[in-house]
Amino acid sequence: MSDTTAPSDPEGKKILLVMTTGPEDPDKTYAPFYTAALMAAMEIDTTMYFLMHGPELLRKGAAEKVPLKKGGNLKQFVDMALENGVKFLACAESCRDLCEIPADEMIDGVKLVGSATLADLALDADSVISF
Amino acid sequence: MAILNGCEFPDDRAYFIERTQMTWVRVEGDRLTVGLTDPAQTRAGKVLHVRIKAAGTSRERGKPIATVESGKWAGPVMAPVTGTVVESNAEVEKDPSLLNTDPYGRGWIVVMTATNPVEVTTLLRGEAALAKFKEILERDHIRCMRCQG
Repeated sequence: MSDTTAPSDPEGKKILLVMTTGPEDPDKTYAPFYTAALMAAMEIDTTMYFLMHGPELLRKGAAEKVPLKKGGNLKQFVDMALENGVKFLACAESCRDLCEIPADEMIDGVKLVGSATLADLALDADSVISF
Repeated sequence: MAILNGCEFPDDRAYFIERTQMTWVRVEGDRLTVGLTDPAQTRAGKVLHVRIKAAGTSRERGKPIATVESGKWAGPVMAPVTGTVVESNAEVEKDPSLLNTDPYGRGWIVVMTATNPVEVTTLLRGEAALAKFKEILERDHIRCMRCQG
């Protein structure tokens, strides 16, 4: 019988990924969603918080228009993250004032929250990663 | 051995098919060997990393016993029944491509025991399993292929 566990079990920990990049820089969009999906699959409580240009990726039909160098587009990775249980929170102020996205134009599964929520999430998380 | 869309399904296995999960289970007494099916490894693509829960880990049905990542897919391998991992495949952790090249053989992932043996009878077998696979393969347009090396 072999023990092949990871050095420390991340299960049950909380990670917050802060996403500020939008479709203007496609190369920086894949890794956050892929990493979040993987973390959620590891049973880490994973939240992505989208602000600045980040919410643009959550507009209906937007991810399909973000090409990836590895082929395909971002949509499958957004879907994979949601499917694995990643929570998507978007900054209401960024959506309204910067991205100008009405709530009904966001994809399903996104919750709009205020800026103060970011403070709560960051303080509550075991680790915060910013993209 | 049944074959659908180029995907192989050995007759001597039971199958756990739920949401995105398509795993096989070989029942030998109270030992349940678990691995990815042919369509599951095809959908994942060439697996680059796998992390497997250590022996002694207790899992509820539907909770992960391993995570698999390929660059195009990252997801859990879920426990087909509630139970305890008694052995994990160190060879697969060293060489994850075994999940692609030999999913029903050297690519096994864990051996577990079931907390409630009755739950094992809920796994799909034979025609019932094949009907479910047929539905998924057609819905998701999956045609199997085996990565080499």
